[in-house]
Amino acid sequence: MDFFTAMEVSASGLSAQRVRMNVSSSNLANASTTQAAGGGPYQRRDVALQSVPMANGAPGVNGVVVQRIVADPNPPRLEYDPGHPDADPDGYVAYPNVNPVEEMVDMITASRAYEAGVTALSTSVSMAERALGIGR
Amino acid sequence: MSVAPITPTGLPIGVERTAAPRAVTGPAFGDVLGDAIASARGNETTANDLASRFADGDPEVGIHETVIAAEKANISLRYATTLKNKLVEAYRELMATQV
Repeated sequence: MDFFTAMEVSASGLSAQRVRMNVSSSNLANASTTQAAGGGPYQRRDVALQSVPMANGAPGVNGVVVQRIVADPNPPRLEYDPGHPDADPDGYVAYPNVNPVEEMVDMITASRAYEAGVTALSTSVSMAERALGIGR
Repeated sequence: MSVAPITPTGLPIGVERTAAPRAVTGPAFGDVLGDAIASARGNETTANDLASRFADGDPEVGIHETVIAAEKANISLRYATTLKNKLVEAYRELMATQV
């Protein structure tokens, strides 16, 4: 049924926004992590989205997938704190390149985009319900 | 004087040959209904599967996937029900034909 195509597109958008939200949360949670898995401070992550044609081949309709999660190449923030266990010989600590304000903005964007996706989905559902009510 | 032979029709006297039944084209109603029911069943199975995986804490399955699958199952079941209602309505209409 073709209403399901719109629902699947919306669902793919919701999943993408959920990943953005997860990544933003991870950035915020690690805003002062000085030891990451690869050594050095945590690096801010960003989500790259990609549009993909739908599985049922509906013409002109594209869903969205997370193509990859990339690390932000900006340099870490240096702060003078000689008492910190991860301070370099000069007494500077490399903190992650995470800006909490930027992350808040990203979170609000993801949240609004999720809301928009849910609205589109509800509209598809109510259209399908309307169609089922024809002739009743 | 010649007498024209009587050609046998193979039919009892007084019975006209009727037109052959017309072949039905397009999918039969039963097939359409069967497809709708099969699709409703498939969607319901998917919804059940996702709901139990979500309850088990599968990180691949989110809230919206589960709710959307349930909504799809709901819509396809109602589609099948609507088709069934239309079939029954049409049948009743035919059975009520005055002869």
